[in-house]
Amino acid sequence: MALRGLAKRFDSKVAVAGVNLDVPAGSFYGLLGPNGAGKTTTLSMAVGLLRPDAGSAWVLGRDVWADPVEAKRLFGVMPDGVRLFDRLSGAELLAYHGLLRGMDPAVVDQRAAELIDVLALSDAGRTLVVDYSAGMKKKIGLACALLHGPRLLVLDEPFEAVDPVSAALIRDILQRYVTGGGTVVFSSHVMEVVQRLCSHVAILAEGTIKRVGTLEEVRGERSLEEVFVEVVGGRTATGEELSWLSR
Amino acid sequence: MAVPVTDPARRVHPVKARHFVRLKLRVIGNNFRGQAWRAVLFVIGSLVGLWLAATAFFGLAAPGLAGEDRYALLVAAFAGGLTVLGWLLLPLVFFGVDETLDPARFALLPLSRRTLVTGLFAAALVSVPTVAVLVALSGLVVTAGAFGGWPAAAVAVLGVISGLLLCVAAARAMTSAFASMLRSRRVRDLAAVLLAVAAALLGPLQLAGLAAIRDTDWDRLTGAATVIGWTPFGAPWTAGIDVAQGRAWAAPLKLLITVVTIVALLAWWSRSLESAMIGTASTGSAKGKPEVSGGAVAQLFPQAAGWLRRDRFGALVAREARYWWRDARRRANLITIAVIGLFVPVMVNVGGQGFSIDSEQGFSLPSDTSPLLVSLSMLFVGLLAAMTLANQFGFDGSAYAANVIAGIPGRLELRARMVAFSLYVLPMLVLVSVVMALILGEPTWMGFMAGTLIATFGAGLAVNSFVSVLAAYSLPETSNPFAMNSGAGVTKSLLALVAMVATAATGLPTVIAAALLGDAWLWLGLPLGVLYGVGVALLGSYLAGDALDRRQPELLTAVTPRR
Repeated sequence: MALRGLAKRFDSKVAVAGVNLDVPAGSFYGLLGPNGAGKTTTLSMAVGLLRPDAGSAWVLGRDVWADPVEAKRLFGVMPDGVRLFDRLSGAELLAYHGLLRGMDPAVVDQRAAELIDVLALSDAGRTLVVDYSAGMKKKIGLACALLHGPRLLVLDEPFEAVDPVSAALIRDILQRYVTGGGTVVFSSHVMEVVQRLCSHVAILAEGTIKRVGTLEEVRGERSLEEVFVEVVGGRTATGEELSWLSR
Repeated sequence: MAVPVTDPARRVHPVKARHFVRLKLRVIGNNFRGQAWRAVLFVIGSLVGLWLAATAFFGLAAPGLAGEDRYALLVAAFAGGLTVLGWLLLPLVFFGVDETLDPARFALLPLSRRTLVTGLFAAALVSVPTVAVLVALSGLVVTAGAFGGWPAAAVAVLGVISGLLLCVAAARAMTSAFASMLRSRRVRDLAAVLLAVAAALLGPLQLAGLAAIRDTDWDRLTGAATVIGWTPFGAPWTAGIDVAQGRAWAAPLKLLITVVTIVALLAWWSRSLESAMIGTASTGSAKGKPEVSGGAVAQLFPQAAGWLRRDRFGALVAREARYWWRDARRRANLITIAVIGLFVPVMVNVGGQGFSIDSEQGFSLPSDTSPLLVSLSMLFVGLLAAMTLANQFGFDGSAYAANVIAGIPGRLELRARMVAFSLYVLPMLVLVSVVMALILGEPTWMGFMAGTLIATFGAGLAVNSFVSVLAAYSLPETSNPFAMNSGAGVTKSLLALVAMVATAATGLPTVIAAALLGDAWLWLGLPLGVLYGVGVALLGSYLAGDALDRRQPELLTAVTPRR
């Protein structure tokens, strides 16, 4: 995936100010950034959900905005803060996504059953997705993105609000996917997960890429968290304020 | 440095109703920020509302200005009663209720129920419709003042204000109660049946009512007005007139009736409010879990859509069909169509018959229930049914992203949505024509009635496809199926108007055909109507699909609720 000068402004606020990013095939790419850095906006523009004011996005050699139909066929997406068609049950949702992707019904059936089994969602039965827990929603969202066997996965905050057991499961699946030749791009602000999984990292803050490279290049000798806080410019509490919190 | 937190209650400022009002004004204001067109629409809508209100004001002030004493009570009782009835029923069937301040948002705040209800009530009073109604019914003050001088006018002012409070309380209580009722499935089905029965009963009632009006003189009507004046529907409005006409003793009693009703409505509202606040935790009804049978694909397709191919189109139709039933907001719309679809034609046509029965002294076939009149009423039903789709993407909200990511062609998307909706509406339309044919005693009319219905419905589908693609707006994510944003309220009404006019224009050929072809239309109506409806709908999806292809991401942004 290649992003060239992607930019977006909402009213007077610049959300993303020209992002360039090259994601090599077969990499496990972490997009780091504090809340409001423009991670979701960037990924939405990269997958064709939000029209950029400027710049272009290329997926496996196809321009997402010039040739959306072909490009969209190649990747799977799990957006964040977007509802699923949550008045379907898990199986129904998978069938819907599979058929939308133009898959053969028999293949959809088989893969859906497998995914539901592996992601430990079979207990849910016919429960509607709207009644799922946050972790289950993330898992079914991932299943929908994986179903058509894409070469590139774009995941927005796949580990947010997910319990450790489900997170481990998701990590496992993603790792296997990359080992099998797939490419994963995901956004997160959980340093630990990124440090453990990623081969490449980009740090995004205030709508621009601040650091980019392989994990080793970005991290150097320090921990990723130290680099991140330094780049983003965080501050630590001095202890003077909020004193009323302690009795 | 540390401030003692031992007694937090001591320094807490009590929450007043004005805080809610300020909050609401702030939310409305923020909705307009950066979206000039919304503000413009809001202003236009407000001006139209005020203009209508001013017209009504002079209508209600007319008896006073003209010195027609005997009409004063009539006008007050009937106009006021209709206003209350409108506030009670219209939010349910048509407009929805302004839920700028969603009660669920207050669930976590330490507010007593009383504070919450008074606050939300006060906030509900701040809206264009309330101002419009206040302006319109102030005409009664003029009338009362003209006959009874200052004392009567003063009482009328009290009456109008309390009447307005009654209207708002009634609207809130009804929608809130209805919303929590709709959440439980069994009650929901029951409510649907009851509404349908009520609608069916309205026809005969209307007939009786019109017949009564026909052969009664003004005295009988005044009697009816007096009776209405003693019910909560008319009490607040007639109090001033009573003083003017020398029945000063009645005024305090009527105001008391009003106040008691308001208190009762608020109590009812506060009860259902509680369940609305808790209910948001899980909006979907937790259903029993029958054993999973068949593969994932087989589960997706409902029985009614079983004939579809298992491909993209089929999946879209199946998902939409499931949604029309599972999504409370959509189902409320379906029920509305069913009720209005039966109610309006029966009212228009049987009402007309009522007159003729009376004037011709017998049950000879009424001359004024012509195929033309029937066609017009059918036109209206078909138009109204299709209008539900005017914001079809708004129902989906951000979930529509799934279709954008999958890159669904616009034409396919629109056609699938039309088919899924028709799965529900077409049987309804056929039912309407059968019922109408039976009521009118004209079985041969069944064909052309169904034809007209389907033709206008098809035309409506086409027009509303455009509206839904070009002018979608987001719906709030709340448990109340009647909820909508205040900015959207005005937008919705204006769009609805435009869509209605366009649909009526597109459906007009059927009415013209009915007028020109005469008897032949009885037989040609069905095939021609179906052909026309399907053709126009396909053409609409073809053209609107192009527009959709060009603006999928924009549409997604438009229907994603701002948080």
